[in-house]
Amino acid sequence: MKPSASSLYQAVELQQEIPPLLIGERANSNGSKRFRELLLEDDYQSCLKIALDQEAKGAHVIDLCTAYAGRDELKDLTTLVRMCAQSLKAPLMIDSTTPECIEACLKIYPGRAVINSVNLEDGGVNIRRVCKAAKRYGAAVVALAIDEKGMAMTADEKFGIAKAIHDIAVDECGLRPSDLLFDCLTFTVGSGDESLREAAIETINGIRRIKKELPGCMTVLGVSNISFGLTPRARRVLNSVFLHEAVSAGLDAAIVDAAKILPLARIPEEDREVCLDLLFNRDTAQEKNPLMRFIDYFTDKAESSDDESEESAHTPEEQLFKQLVDGDKEGLEDLLSILRERLKPLAIINQVLVPAMRHVGELFGKGEILLPFVLQSAEVMKESVTALEPFMERTDGASATKVLLATVQGDVHDIGKNLVDIILSNNGYKVFNIGIKVTAETVIEKAREHDVDVIGLSGLLVKSAIVMQESMPQYREAGLDVPILLGGAALTPKFVAESCVPDYTGPVVYCGDAFAGLKAVREHEDSTLVSTVYSERSAVQTMKPGVKDTAIDRTHPVPSAPFVGRRYVEDIDPEQLFPYVNIEALFRGRWGYRRGKMGAAEYRELITTTVQPLYERLLHRTLEEGLIQPKVAYGYFPCHAEDTTVRVEVDGVRYDFAFPRQAEPPYLCIADYFKTEQEGGDIAGFFVVTIGDRIGRETAQLYEQNAYHDYLMLHGFSVEMTDALAEYWHAVMRQELGIGAEELPTQGLISQSYQGSRYGFGYPACPDLDVHQPLFAFLRPEAIGVSLTENMQMVPEQTTSAIVAHHPQAKYFAV
Amino acid sequence: MEEKESSGRYICVNCGYVYDPAQGDPLNAIAPGTSFDDLPAEWVCPMCYAPCSQFDPLD
Ligand code: B12
Repeated sequence: MKPSASSLYQAVELQQEIPPLLIGERANSNGSKRFRELLLEDDYQSCLKIALDQEAKGAHVIDLCTAYAGRDELKDLTTLVRMCAQSLKAPLMIDSTTPECIEACLKIYPGRAVINSVNLEDGGVNIRRVCKAAKRYGAAVVALAIDEKGMAMTADEKFGIAKAIHDIAVDECGLRPSDLLFDCLTFTVGSGDESLREAAIETINGIRRIKKELPGCMTVLGVSNISFGLTPRARRVLNSVFLHEAVSAGLDAAIVDAAKILPLARIPEEDREVCLDLLFNRDTAQEKNPLMRFIDYFTDKAESSDDESEESAHTPEEQLFKQLVDGDKEGLEDLLSILRERLKPLAIINQVLVPAMRHVGELFGKGEILLPFVLQSAEVMKESVTALEPFMERTDGASATKVLLATVQGDVHDIGKNLVDIILSNNGYKVFNIGIKVTAETVIEKAREHDVDVIGLSGLLVKSAIVMQESMPQYREAGLDVPILLGGAALTPKFVAESCVPDYTGPVVYCGDAFAGLKAVREHEDSTLVSTVYSERSAVQTMKPGVKDTAIDRTHPVPSAPFVGRRYVEDIDPEQLFPYVNIEALFRGRWGYRRGKMGAAEYRELITTTVQPLYERLLHRTLEEGLIQPKVAYGYFPCHAEDTTVRVEVDGVRYDFAFPRQAEPPYLCIADYFKTEQEGGDIAGFFVVTIGDRIGRETAQLYEQNAYHDYLMLHGFSVEMTDALAEYWHAVMRQELGIGAEELPTQGLISQSYQGSRYGFGYPACPDLDVHQPLFAFLRPEAIGVSLTENMQMVPEQTTSAIVAHHPQAKYFAV
Repeated sequence: MEEKESSGRYICVNCGYVYDPAQGDPLNAIAPGTSFDDLPAEWVCPMCYAPCSQFDPLD
């Protein structure tokens, strides 16, 4: 059993997979002025709300303290504990120094609470009483490094007190080591007091010793004391850096205002260095001491123009602009209501929010910020506009340029056009997003109905590009002439220029990404938008990588198949796929956490503090919530090659897979890796694998909720999980064929270091997707819930197919 | 500032393939010792065909 606390509703592990456990500190009459004032007015309901708010902001456990001179602590605390027990999902930390109060609360609290706190101030009286109560009611206990002499300063003293408490609690009162959370306490390094210059070091060393010498025990810390006396902005940075250091030293839990902790990756390297110098009392060559350097540094910073400040030194306009750029939603509603007293809602949008989004777009274009952060900014935009909408006139925004977006017929790919929607609508345009699998007729109808200024079409596979091409004359004949923007992974500027532009009256524009779409819409407004042109001469002819040897060994033995025919496997444990996930492709490619202009160290930091934890959370959810349901339809079939065709024999019926041959040396063709009839024939593997449609629905929901960032993350995760399943199943098939014995694990990276190859239909060695027809005819993946659309797309989208060749020379190539 | 002298490796963000100048890229007939910056403009990832712009410096 992992140590945990629980409420009526849930258990929370005290040692989080990604530490620290965050303990909300705002429902505290000593620490929060607001909470205290509410309590003095007997406004319990609002006190409860402060607790609930913190839970919403990510606190795992909520500290509750009502001690205040002149008030009845027992009544206040028990009342609020009762209310919290009903409403709060997060477990409670009962914060009191009075044993009566603690006992009364434990009695009524329906879960496993944490007691905050015991110490040795009175020489050991209260601690025994409280520990016994903890034992009786089953609670965890926070123990402070305080004894008769006061708060422990040095690591040795901190450890000494912890050890003494440990002996009382464990040996005498029967608690388990894992019931104890030691708080080493910390003093500020910001006061200039010479005796406190090592305060951070002592605390961190104390944590280290406790973790090492009192096995099983946990540690907790109120982090913000470290920076007492410094300016708010500097405090926030210093607290965050200190927390990170403490966690590295073994800290399990932190009492913090979760909303005020900055992810390390958001703290510039230089800021971090200045903090570390102060925390570790590092004297450098300069004559100033680390505190002076720290103070000077952050004063300079505050003066520089676009820097963050907690005070209202900035106008609310500037503040809003900045919050949007930073993707920071904190206090947004308040800020907007202040602004509404000065500006009309539409003016707030047009004068502050839209320019801020434009700035974000420019930063992205320059590679200064990454896509995930752009999406966070878009979320701020969306939330602001939603909050302003009730105050807007009906006619407000009626003059905005209108864009129709659709994914074409036979195509279920949603995310490409949705990202375009996010970018356009949050840059002030009116978007009509009419969904997936939309016929040309419906596009025409809706374009007329909404009288749109621009049409945007999207699709995933080449077949959808063909659909776009074929619908161009239809749009022309319907009398449309508004610009049409085309996008999707399988489109090229060449295809758009040569196959789509000529058949339509208005401009037809290739858009490589959502920002290209934004640019096109702006150009349309400026009347400068023109159709995509393509010139063979200026275009770069890309290389065709691949093995250059032509002589294919015809004598290679055919492995024996474990069975002949098709089979379905539906009970695959998702955890099996984890080692096959291509993490680099996920983080950098799908999620957009590229290194960009970052230094190596900064990027590593971003990965370890933000990206890796995100990934681990998703893995966790995969197992907990059954997010993915891997299923496989596969089989081995006798076949033989005839020129460029692989003829497959199933139940007496022949299915042909025609593969193209390279037009230049070495003239490779997939069929060459299979033996001819004369050579005795061969064996071909096929598979269709899917992770099901559940995760697709979850993903769509995030989009509905305007959780753009999480939307992209979950989608990217689902995509790489699908690939991992294909990689895993290919490995299983090599094992079954007896050709996988000496393989090394690939860690998800494409290295092709195994024997043979899997060729996904539609990829460069076999671009033709029509072979999905014969494949579906004999593999019948409908049995695992996969169907085929009219343009050869597999549904659910998170599905992939391939032919498996065992020949050692079979590798990827492009025709 | 100091970190400059690195191995000069680049990683494909689309598939994770690592271009190592010490190895070159035999599948594209690129000789060992060719730095990433010296790759021809038409060079693509030998595994997934992504262009140079889809590469990140690795270390
Ligand atoms: C992820 C992915 C998958 C995922 C699923 C798709 C998904 N997204 O959920 C998985 C792994 C399951 C998969 C499977 C397959 N895939 Co795939 N896949 C990709 C990949 C790597 C990325 C696609 C993606 O989602 N990108 C992210 C989204 C957000 O980007 P996007 O849709 O392109 O949209 C952006 C832009 O294109 C643009 N945009 C898009 N629409 C519009 C519209 C307008 C108006 C504007 C302005 C802009 C715009 O803006 C968007 C945001 O910036 C691409 C290659 C690539 N690097 O692009 C191949 C790719 C699309 N896949 C390909 C193939 C062949 C397949 C399979 C057929 C392989 C197989 N045999 O199994 C299957 C088919 C799946 C099916 N359901 O039928 C080929 C398609 C070529 C072809 N012949 O059609 C590609 C191009 C790879 C390649 N280089 O060959 N694939």
